Amino acid sequence: MLITNAHDYLQRIWPNLPGDILQDLAGIFHEYSAKRKTVLTAEGEVEKYLYLVLEGVQRAYAISTDGREATLVFTYAPSFSGVADSFLLQRPSRYWFETLTPSKFLRANFQDFDAVLLKHPLLERLIRLALSETLEGVLVRQIELQSYTAEQRFRTLLARSPHLLQLVPHKYIANYLGMDATNFSKLLGQIRI
Amino acid sequence: MDANNLLDQHYQQTEAMLDKAVKEWQNLPPQKLTQEPAPGSWSAAQCLAHLNAYGNYYLPAIEKAIQTAQAAGSKPSPEFNSSWLGAYFTKLMQPDSKTKMKSPANAIPPTFLNPAETLAQFIDQQERMLKLIEKARTVNLNQVRIPISIAQWIRLKLGDTFGFYTAHHRRHVLQAERALGK
Repeated sequence: MLITNAHDYLQRIWPNLPGDILQDLAGIFHEYSAKRKTVLTAEGEVEKYLYLVLEGVQRAYAISTDGREATLVFTYAPSFSGVADSFLLQRPSRYWFETLTPSKFLRANFQDFDAVLLKHPLLERLIRLALSETLEGVLVRQIELQSYTAEQRFRTLLARSPHLLQLVPHKYIANYLGMDATNFSKLLGQIRI
Repeated sequence: MDANNLLDQHYQQTEAMLDKAVKEWQNLPPQKLTQEPAPGSWSAAQCLAHLNAYGNYYLPAIEKAIQTAQAAGSKPSPEFNSSWLGAYFTKLMQPDSKTKMKSPANAIPPTFLNPAETLAQFIDQQERMLKLIEKARTVNLNQVRIPISIAQWIRLKLGDTFGFYTAHHRRHVLQAERALGK
């Protein structure tokens, strides 16, 4: 997919969106690029933007009090990105959002986003549906974390996002799966054979 | 030489090595990385372990020097000029240099090492290096100096340190590729 403008990107997500609404919504997104390992939102900051990923891989991660990282989610095109809860609630983020590879985005700030949703109730409804799916994804991940074995989590991720293996350092994937690097390379070895 | 162009060049070369490690090497069976191409020749993992030994010294040294310079109010200079020694070291390290070198004893990698760990450390170090190159844009590459690992009394300019470090990395990354048979 090589869509670089907000109009086409949003039309792909919501093919039946009326032209005038699409126009208003597309108008609030602006292009933005970042090098790899750029922190876009730090813990304690209020998320300013809603992102649409054009290129690259990003992750959200929390840092525990003893300094360990916990990778919460990876994002890549085509998808929304950013610290969604902090953005929607306009409250300080509890975790970090960074690029893992050179990334390109379209992004909209909260004031513009809020205004366009107030103007078009249909968008409010579409965003609710999109958030419902996000919530479903978060809860499914909760099940994976609490009741899958390490190997099941590994196989589930590989089935869902096999391309990540060639895109990001494996330490981030191992961290997302909650396993150490040695265990991860052992499992990877089994898959190869 | 334009300081920003120089840093751009080191950034691109470092990122190309990181890309290779992420896209290709970490997806190879680990035992491939430890295969010696000929008896007594370094395996790819040994090449990377050799580079990691340098990273373990230079990354903290560069980080510290940049922080100290920032605290002292160092401002970037638009131009960077190599010292004669810095230019000499960099030339010596270049992958196409004809000079055959013997690695110092403390940088000779062990024959038995964990290939996955060695590669993970290599990847980590390249990520850190990219961040340091970006940080270096805030300081004067001519004035910040780094003691070299084999002779602490020799202090190279930060711009020259990047120069020979990247050249040395490229040299052994090419050697690693040859060891992998490409």
